[in-house]
Parts: sequence; C-alpha cells; structure tokens
Amino acid sequence: MGYPHTSHPKETPVLSQYFGDPGARSLDGWKQRGGYRALEKALGMSPADIVNEVKESGLRGRGGAGFPTGVKWSFMKPGDGKPHYLCVNADESEPGTFKDREIMRWTPHALIEGAAIGAYAIGAETCYIYIRGEFTEPLRVMNAAVKEAYAAGVIGPNAMGTGKRIDVHVHKGAGAYICGEETALMNSLEGKRGNPRIKPPFPAVAGLFGKPTTINNVETLAAVPHILNRGAAWYKGMSRGNPKSTGTKLFSVCGNVAKPGNYEVEMGFPFKEFLYELCGGPLPGRRFKAIIPGGSSVPIQTVEEAEATVMDYEGFIAQGTMLGSGGVIVFDDSQCMVKHIARLARFYAHESCAQCTQCREGTAWTTRILERIERGHGTMADLDTLLELADQMTGKTICVLSDSCAAPIVSGIKKFRSEFEAHITGKRCPMGATAAA
Amino acid sequence: MPTLTINGREVTVPQGATILDAARSLGVDVPTLCWYPQLPIVGNCRICLVSVAGSPKLVPACATPAADGQVVTTESVAAVENRRGVLSMLLERYPVHDIPDGGSRNEFEALVRRYNVPTTKRSPLPLRTGDERAGDPLIQHDMSTCILCTRCVRACADIQVVGVLDVAQRGEHAEIIVGADGNPEHAGCTWCGECVRVCPTGAIHDLIPLAKLKAESAAQPERTVRSVCPYCAVGCQIDLSVRGNDIQRVRSPWIEETTPNIGSTCVKGRFGFDFAMHRDRLTKPLIRRGWVKRDGTWRFEPSPDDVARWGRRGGPWREIREEATTRKQRPKFNPLQSLRLADAPLGDPRDRVATPKEWYEPFREATWDEALDLVASQLVRLRDERGPNSLAVFSSAKCTNEENYVLQRLVRGGLWTNNIDHCTRLCHSSSVSAMQRAMNTSAASGSMREVEHESDVIFILGANTTESHPVFGAAIKRAQKRGATLIVADPRRIELAQRADIHLQMLPGTDVALLNAMLHHVLECGLEDKEFIRTRTHGFEAVREAVAPYTPERAETITGVPAHLIREAAERYARGPKSSTLWAMGLTQHHTGTDIVTSLLNLLLCCGMIGRWGAAMMPIRGQNNVQGASDMGAIPMSYTDYLPVTDPSVRRMYAEAWGVPEERLSLTAGLKVTEIVKPESGVVGMYIMGENPIISDPDVAHAEEWFRNLEFLAVQDLFLTETARYADVVLPGSSFAEKTGTFVNTERRIQLAHKAIDPPGEARADLDILIELSNRIGLPAPFADASAVMDEIARVTPSWRGVSYARLEGSGLQYPVPDAQSPGTFFLFDDEFPTADGKATLTPVEFMPPAELPDAEYPFFMNTGRQLYHWHTGTMTRRATGLDSREPTPTVEINADDARALGIADGDPVRITSRRGSVVLSARVSPRVARSQVFLPMHYREAAANLLTRSDVLDPYAGIPEFKVSAVRIEPVTAERVEEGNGKRSTALGARPAAAESWSD
Repeated sequence: MGYPHTSHPKETPVLSQYFGDPGARSLDGWKQRGGYRALEKALGMSPADIVNEVKESGLRGRGGAGFPTGVKWSFMKPGDGKPHYLCVNADESEPGTFKDREIMRWTPHALIEGAAIGAYAIGAETCYIYIRGEFTEPLRVMNAAVKEAYAAGVIGPNAMGTGKRIDVHVHKGAGAYICGEETALMNSLEGKRGNPRIKPPFPAVAGLFGKPTTINNVETLAAVPHILNRGAAWYKGMSRGNPKSTGTKLFSVCGNVAKPGNYEVEMGFPFKEFLYELCGGPLPGRRFKAIIPGGSSVPIQTVEEAEATVMDYEGFIAQGTMLGSGGVIVFDDSQCMVKHIARLARFYAHESCAQCTQCREGTAWTTRILERIERGHGTMADLDTLLELADQMTGKTICVLSDSCAAPIVSGIKKFRSEFEAHITGKRCPMGATAAA
Repeated sequence: MPTLTINGREVTVPQGATILDAARSLGVDVPTLCWYPQLPIVGNCRICLVSVAGSPKLVPACATPAADGQVVTTESVAAVENRRGVLSMLLERYPVHDIPDGGSRNEFEALVRRYNVPTTKRSPLPLRTGDERAGDPLIQHDMSTCILCTRCVRACADIQVVGVLDVAQRGEHAEIIVGADGNPEHAGCTWCGECVRVCPTGAIHDLIPLAKLKAESAAQPERTVRSVCPYCAVGCQIDLSVRGNDIQRVRSPWIEETTPNIGSTCVKGRFGFDFAMHRDRLTKPLIRRGWVKRDGTWRFEPSPDDVARWGRRGGPWREIREEATTRKQRPKFNPLQSLRLADAPLGDPRDRVATPKEWYEPFREATWDEALDLVASQLVRLRDERGPNSLAVFSSAKCTNEENYVLQRLVRGGLWTNNIDHCTRLCHSSSVSAMQRAMNTSAASGSMREVEHESDVIFILGANTTESHPVFGAAIKRAQKRGATLIVADPRRIELAQRADIHLQMLPGTDVALLNAMLHHVLECGLEDKEFIRTRTHGFEAVREAVAPYTPERAETITGVPAHLIREAAERYARGPKSSTLWAMGLTQHHTGTDIVTSLLNLLLCCGMIGRWGAAMMPIRGQNNVQGASDMGAIPMSYTDYLPVTDPSVRRMYAEAWGVPEERLSLTAGLKVTEIVKPESGVVGMYIMGENPIISDPDVAHAEEWFRNLEFLAVQDLFLTETARYADVVLPGSSFAEKTGTFVNTERRIQLAHKAIDPPGEARADLDILIELSNRIGLPAPFADASAVMDEIARVTPSWRGVSYARLEGSGLQYPVPDAQSPGTFFLFDDEFPTADGKATLTPVEFMPPAELPDAEYPFFMNTGRQLYHWHTGTMTRRATGLDSREPTPTVEINADDARALGIADGDPVRITSRRGSVVLSARVSPRVARSQVFLPMHYREAAANLLTRSDVLDPYAGIPEFKVSAVRIEPVTAERVEEGNGKRSTALGARPAAAESWSD
C-alpha cells in the first residue's frame, strides 16, 4: 500500500497491509493483528525446520542481491561452539529506496518478530538492527518497540517463555551509505571505520567480531513471519513470472510520476501496468523517458525497455538492469539525463570509503568530467575517458560501490548519448537546466 | 596442500597460502602496493589483481587463497590493463613532474616505469593532502606523494601496536591523519619510524641530521652496511646508509629476514645514530697537562697554577653535585615547535649537553705513541710498585665481544689481577647470581620469538619494556593481541601495565612477599608441576615451608596488592600452559636483588615454566652487549663462559692459551664495580673503556670524589665524558659504526656488526687500541683483526666453540654453539640443567624490606630508571639531535595528588633531596606513578639521579646497589631557593625575574 495512498486493487499488501495504521505500532495492537504467532510457532520448531520452510518458500534477499534467504541461513553451522550473530541491515541509504523505512515506521514488531525468528533459526542469541543514522523517526519507533517487546518477555533471556535467549539491539548508524554494505556494516558495529572487508572469509564463517554472522535486509525478515504463519506454499504461489522469484515485493517509486509512494506487488507483475496504473503514469503533458528500477546502483532503462519488463529478479536482468532494492526512479522528458547522472556520480564519489584505488579516484574523476560536460565544457574525448574509467571501475574492487557508480554512467552514455553530445557541441545544457548544486 | 599453476608452472603451497604467496615462492613478481609482509591484508590498492581461469573477474592475489587446480596468469592482458589503470589513477594526484625522466625514486614510481604508464595528467584532481608533521624533529610528511595504501596505518596499529595514524574522510578527501588533532604527542606516537619503513613513496620520511653531515654527504648513499643497534639488548639489526665517511640514516632490514627485530626499530635505533658524527667526538689522544717524559720516565709535574685552581686532577667545571642544583629550563610542551636556529649562532640549540669548551683546558693533544706509552708505563709501574690489585679496569657492555675479551685477557694475563668488571654489576648481576645458584646459568633460557608467538601467559616484572626495549615491547603487545594473557608486576602504571590483564602494582621492593604469596597460592591450589619438581629440582620442601606463612592476605598488607589479584595472577601463571617469565631492573636493583630473583625462580620452577618452547625464562638484558661482555669474562669472578677464576685447572687452560706463566693468573676473584669505587678498595689506578661511572654509579658525589683521588686514570671513550674529564690520558675510541665485531643480545644471539665508516680524525678502533696496549704491557696479542680474536674466543669458550665470522652473517647464532655444525640453541634446559646432577635447586627466601624506607623527613619512595628517548648516562643520546629534542630536560614523575598537595604544577621546578644529596629539576605530573612515589630518569648530568641513590647497602651475593628504592623529600623551588642551595649567584639567574613563569619558557 503506497502510504499515504489507499491500496490499489492490483497490489498485494502483505508487508504493507498496516502502513498508515498507528494501531499496528504497539505490541498489543500488533498482537491483535496476528503478530507474534509466528514467533511462538517458530520457537516450538527446530531451527532446521524453519530454515527448510524458508528455503521452500523461495524467499530471496530484498536488499539487492537476491540471494535465497534459506540457503544463506543454512550456511550457519549449528553446534560449532561459537556465538552466532544476526545483523539486520536497516541502513537503507540507496537513493530512491524507502521501503524499509515504512516497515520500521509502521510495523516495527514485524521486523522484531522476523529478526527473532531468523536469529533462532541460525542459532544466534544476539541480533543487531543497524538503522540508518538519518532515520530518526524509525529509530524512535524501533527503540520503543524493542523496549516494549523486552518488557513483555517476547524477546530477552526467556523469549516467549521458552527459555530461549534472543537479544535485540538497535544500533544507529552515523550517516555513511557504505555502511549498508554488509561487511562495512559489521566493521561499523564493531566500532571501526566502515570499510567493506575483503571476502573471503564470508560473514557466515567470520563476520561480526570474527564470528559466524548472517546479515538480512529488513524487508526479507519482515516477510518471514508471514511465511511461517501461512506456509511456504502460499508464499511460493505469489509468482507471476519466473518461479525462482516468489512472494511480494515492495517498490518505492519517486521522480516524475503522478503518484509516488510504496507499492507492494507480486513478483512478476508487469512493469508497464505498474507504472501507468498503480503509479498513475506521467505528470500531465509529460512522457516517461528513463527509469532506474532498482535503486540508483542499477543500469538505467529507457522507457521502452521498462515497459517490456516483468518485475522479478530475472525479468529486470532480461531487460539489462536489476531489481536491486526496488527503488524506482522515474525521469520524464523534461529531465536532463546528464545532470542526473552527474548527480549520481557525485553521490558515489562522496560516499566512497576510499579504500580501493579505482573507486576513490574513479568516482571523483568521473564526477568532475560529468559536471564539466553538464556545464557545457566537455569534449567528445571525455566520453571515451568516462567509458574507460567506468570499465576500470567495474568488477575490480572490494565492494560494488564503484560498479554502482559506473553502471548509470555506462548505461546513460549508451542509451542517451545524444544528450551528452548535445551538451558538448552546444556548449550548454539543451534543457536549460544546470547541475544540481 | 593445494597445487596450482601460475604462468604455466605448477607449485604446491601450504594450506592457507594466498596466490601471492604461491607466486612469490616461484619467484614470480606480482606487483603490490598495499600488501606488505606480516601486515593485515586489506587488498585495497587493487594492483595485484590476476586472472584465474574460470573466474569472471580478476582476483586480488594478495587476498585470494590458493586452491587446488587453480590456473593463474599474473600478467594477463586484463591484469596488465587493470594495473595500468590503477597506476594512472594514482598518478592523477601525484606530483608527476618530480619523477625523474625514465627513472624512479621509490616503489610506486618503479611500478609506473615497469608498466610504462604515461606520466601525463588528464584530470583536474588536486594533489593529495594529509596531516603534515611540520617542525617535527624526526619524521616528516609530504602527503602529495601519498597513495593511500594504508601500510603506515597498519604498521603503526599492528606491528608497533600504537595506532597513531589513521585514514580520515571519505572518497577523494580521504587522507592519512596523525591522531585526532594532528599532534603525534597526543596520539601516543613513540617516533619509532615504522611508518617511514613501510611507506612505498616516501610520503612519510625521516629527517637526515644534515647539520652533522659534511655537505657532500647529503646525496644518494653509496653503500648500505649491516650493523647492530648500539642501544638495548634486543639486538636489532640495522642497515646504515653511508656516503663518504658519514652515516645518513638508519634503514630497516627487510621484514622477512630473520633478525631479532624482524626489521623494526625503535626511536633510538632509527634516529639515535648521529652521535657518532657529533662535533664533540675526540679525534686525538689527550694527556693531562703536567705529564712529562724525562729520561725515559713519565712524571706528573703540574704547574702550580693548575694545582691551585683545580687540585690534582680537577678542571674548570662544576662537579655533578653542584650542577644538580642549578635551574633547568623546560621548553613549553610542544614537541613540534620550530627551532629558533637564529638564536643559536653556534649551531643546533638542541645540543645542550655538548662538551663545554673549558673541559678541554686541563688537557693537551698528544700522539698515540705518547699516550699509549704513558698508559702502559703507568699501569706496569703501579702493578709492579703497588701490586696487581692496586689496578682495576672497567670494561664495557657497549663494546664488542672481541674488545671485552682482549681487555680481560690484558687485565688477567698482563696486569695479573681479576679486578675487571662492567656495568652488568649495576643491572643484572643479581639475576646472574640467583640463576647461577638455582641452575648454574647466566642467560635467558629462551628466545623473544617464542614469547611473541607461543606463550599463553607472559609475566613481566619490573621491566618497562615498551620504553627500555621498545621493539620487544611491541612484540609483547602483539602477543597480547594474539590472545596471550599479560600479567605485569610493577610499582608504576607503565604502558604494559595499562594494557595488562592483571597489573600487580606493589610497593617498591616488596617483590619477595608478592612472589612467595603467588607460590603459596599455587601450592594451595595444587597447581604446581609435581612431576617437574620431583624429577628436576632439589629443595622443594624447604621452599614449601618458607612460603607457607605468605598467604595472599599477608602479602596484601606488605605489597599493597589486593589478595584476589595475587591469587588470580598465580593461577593464570601456573595454569599456563606455557608461561614466559620476563624481568629486568625492577627486580634486580635492590639490596635483596638476588633474593627477589630467587623467589621468582622458585615460582617458575615449581610451575615448570622453563625448558619448553613458549615457556621462556628471560632476564631482559639492558645494554647491547651486556650479555656478551659477561660471557667474555669481563667480570671479576670468571673467565669466558663463566669458568671460575678460582679453579686451577681452568687457570692452566687459559695460561696455555695466552702463553703466560700459570702463576701470573690470579686465583682470587677480583673486586666488583661497587667494591672498587670505595676508599678501602685499595685501587689507585684505573683503566676505563666506554663507561661513565660518574653518572651511573650510586651516590655519585662520593664516586666523583673517589675518581679525583686516583693516582692514575686512563679512559678510552668517544667523548670527554664526566668521567673522562678526570683522566690522565684519554684515548679516542670508535663508535659502533666504526668497527667490525660481535654483540650478544638478550636471547644469547651472537650477531655480527660491520664497520661502516672510519673513526674521525686520529681516533682508532677500540680493538686496535687494546691490542697495542696489550703488546706494550708485555702480553702479546697476535690478532690481525676481530675475526682472529673470535677464533681464539671459540677455542677457549666451550659453548662458543662452533662460532666463526663466516657463520655469523645473517641472523647470527644463539649460543651454545658446541661445534661448527650446530645451528645454535633456541631454548635451553628441555631435559636437564647444567648442574652436577642436572637438577635445579630451589632456595627458600624471606621478605626483607628495602634498606631505606620513607619516613617523616624523607616521605617519598624514589625510583630511578630509563626513558624512551634517552640512554643511560646520555653520552650518546644527548648528542643525538632528534632524541634530545624529544626529551631535552630532566624531569621527575610525580603523582597528581602529591603534586597538588605540595603545590606543584606540571613543569614546575622542584628539589628532590635524599640523605646523599639533592637535585633540582622540573616536575612531570604523571598518572604512571603511585602516590608517595617519584620516578627519576638516570640520564641527565645536570640532575643526576644517582646523586640521591645509596652506595653503602649492596646485595650480599651480587654487590648490586639499591637503585630502585631511596627515601627522598620533594619541595617546590623558587629561583631564590635554588641560589641558596647553589651557594652562589650565577649571572644568568640574577638577570631573570624570580617569578615561577620564568622557569618554563
């Protein structure tokens, strides 16, 4: 449900069912809406059964990579004598993405419940919820909810009276995009500089404090109670396209669109229908020009490509991009693509942790070139330099921030080359816009 | 053991090895920037990316585990393209115009050339920046050449375990910072220079002491010479960069070489070499005015004027005692302030302890022939007229084994006395006497590496390792990081104590009570190693009875350490399973030093913590060759290898080896340092090589008086020291860099140092001087060079029998080296001790309080010792510009509460008075000392700590004085009161206002 909009009939509100419903925030309210039944049930199951159920459901990571959640959990070997940790990645900083924010704002207990189940399933007694530093309201709501859950004995040393310990700590980030990268998040939690770590070792082997760790996205965990309540088969059934993509997905829509907001649809929903019906199409008198469908890190689609896309992991890849985090950024024909790509590059240059040479230097260099072109001072050779740099920035660094910066540049030049050339030959922006300050 | 293929060649590597390791084992050169051996792998420069068949992406060779069947191509098209990309990106923010045409100046530029990357810039990105260290006397930054490989950050955090440097900011603004505010002092920097060592571009570099080099010596070095650091007994190997006859700088040996220091240095090792080129170096022999040779005989006929002014052997200087009570200026505490060179027309203002010109007045320059003739004739005359025991010799722990050997040979075979000793008397003699009694050994049983890598528990007593042996201190910190438990027993809260798992902060001198209580608790818990006690020791029952009354509660009342901490420490030590035991001066420099070490050995033996790899017994030796000087017999009771002088069969062996009549070698043990410097010793003539007893002996005022009254004194040294100024003859010797010879470090490692430069002027190699002197007094010393001396040493020293110069190149040998095939001995006593029956002896000891306890009149405990930036009597370090600028003035550490109660602020002048004397110096309010305790460094002539220490109470076995405990009082001083104490008014003082501010300008 695209709060504050009312739910569109073609939506499938599962996670977003109670968005906008203040009553769902409290523990009692959540219980009245069916909350914590799944946790109660889970604590009566064996961890292996929970993992199997989640595997069976086909749930995949909603943070961007789409890794099967049950498989990830199964990497945590029970009985290895080490403490296990669950980290909840609530550092939702991807430009254009704001779904986790709404989950935490409206249904904090959904996350706590999902996290508690996840922790139990992977043999962890401690769970850290790492919340983006700028999320002041979600942080307040989450803190209150965790306090309430502890007070009610839902979590804590004797969770739900089962004698099992599940501690949940809420940790506020300090405003670094890179801390949404799972290994940087762990460094940050440990009190270190938030630099991504080199892999291997993978977190399931040596993660937080060097111990086996699983990191899950907020939306992923929020879906888990529903799977346990209603069964893997039900979840798996929500798949209109490729059977490897199951369940519902929240899409955050922003930009030049009539009805921006969060929308929850079944996997495999047609993107064209989504854009024109659910989101209300373009603003009056405008036409869509380009779409970034999965948060700022994925390649840009032309509107034609977007209209041909089926909204699931495989469907976006088939159209040259990725589902990513589900942050749909829409540009209409009034927008200067050079300006927006420059703005994106500047974001990545600002957020680069500065470890890897290609990222540290490449993001800064490409930003300077793009801004130069945008101001009308570019040359044709700059485009070649951009592509050359983007190539050096792709697939060669510790994390994918550098790739994320390169993706819109490469796809932008490929698909909107005429706009770049117009800036260069005309020595000014043809749309009359100037680069964002 | 995965087997993989690299560039078509197959290689099998150990499990856990990376692709880079595999490539290196094949000699395949994969370029790296951020990777450095033994640093944590971060894989951030991305230049070592290589192609692996089947992998869609390039993988970092440094971080990717080698796997079975991998097919790696290190110079694939994609890999090379990536490398060129990395290098060109780095060049965008690099001062490319400074790169020499077609050449390179550093690791990074060499890679630029190797991959033929154009050095033209394409981007508008600015040069990189970072924290500079403007005004820093030792280390400076030029961050425009920084490539952010973060080696320096990791070297600081992971090798030295300090953590001064870090990366700040993100993206293009990322830069290396020095602490939070750019001030290394605030960040705990120890100026070790590890960052200089690892920097691949020279962005972090050391300062060359240009003021001390000849102008033409500032260019590229001509050669590199491997030497051994002249300071502590860690025995770091260092590489001297030499041009002409000047040392430009010290460089680290490559980290993967087997050196005791794995290439690290501390601040002294890296920056303390320039004393060798100081203008104060003696370049000609000096003879006291008044000595004349007439009719073939030397006579002392001083002018009446001189006698009237100075007495028999004085000079135009103030005695140590007088100097102690003058005012001391302490610069405001800003280590980075720029120097006011303009104010100092005579050169570097930091050379504030340079030899005063007037000290040379009582001397005339002489030829070597004259000087040696005078020395030889007077020694022989005294020997023959006053008897051999009227002579005594101080050998030197700073000199090589060969020099010590030849000197003791000369003393015994030529002067017919055993009166030879050196500063071991003042440091570890009580350890030696305790270890000799317990297990007939005189050196550490283990190695430093086992402490770092193997020990589960490290128990350190009375050793401020991070300041006195910083490179070993860092190894201990690394050991703790790896998971070892650190237990520190020390009255001060030194750095290791702050880091320790358990800090036993006892009252000074109460060690026996503490250690007996630990053993008491071990026995009570049944944690002792019963098998070890049964099969390898004697005397357990007596010790069990002796420690029975020492309950932890009783020890608490004596030591002030809570009983539960004593219990916990005892249990953790005994449980080990591998506990190493380290100690230094804090245990030994007491009038009960031998007892204290004995009580520690009792604990160690009862827990069986010796004779296994990881359970080392390690007295940490002080001087770079204090172990070797003792091994070489420069001690009054034994020849080399601790063979007793009292044993006639031993005497026969040496008489034969040296070609002297057997009866010439005395069967009576000689006098110790502390026994020689006494009116009743009967010694009237002395030869001193490289020691400065007038600062280092206890109760200096008396020592100075004693030396003044000698009939003849000859000193062989680098400078006109406080001792040398009283000499009749001063022979200019050579510094460590000017000679070839061997040194023994604290883990029994004999290491070879090579000559790098010639001694200045007419100064001669110490060995040459000794050989010629030996010949002149009638004991032929037929040695062509140091190597020939070593051959004789090997012949007469059973545990060095397999030592020769050829075998010492590289990492050296840890003795015993019984034959030419032996690889040396890494640890001792795995099955038996070198005693008659192979067992060690436990000796019960009782607690005795220090000889002088605080009372109403002298209410403070005074402790003396070393500081990080200085060394012993300061002869060398105070002439090392960088070191002295870090710690230019004497200070006394005092607890904040005491300071407040006495109305003393940090930097205020205070007077410390003991029953022996008094010194004026500035206060350093410090959290490291406990209440009612003060700490005085021993390095400063102008406030000699040893004016306050006591020489009349000695350890009965070892003769070591109680440097560590004296009772003193402390009072703030105003300018007037200094003058009172001084007895006269100096003009400089009179010209100043008497306000307290004038003390800290």
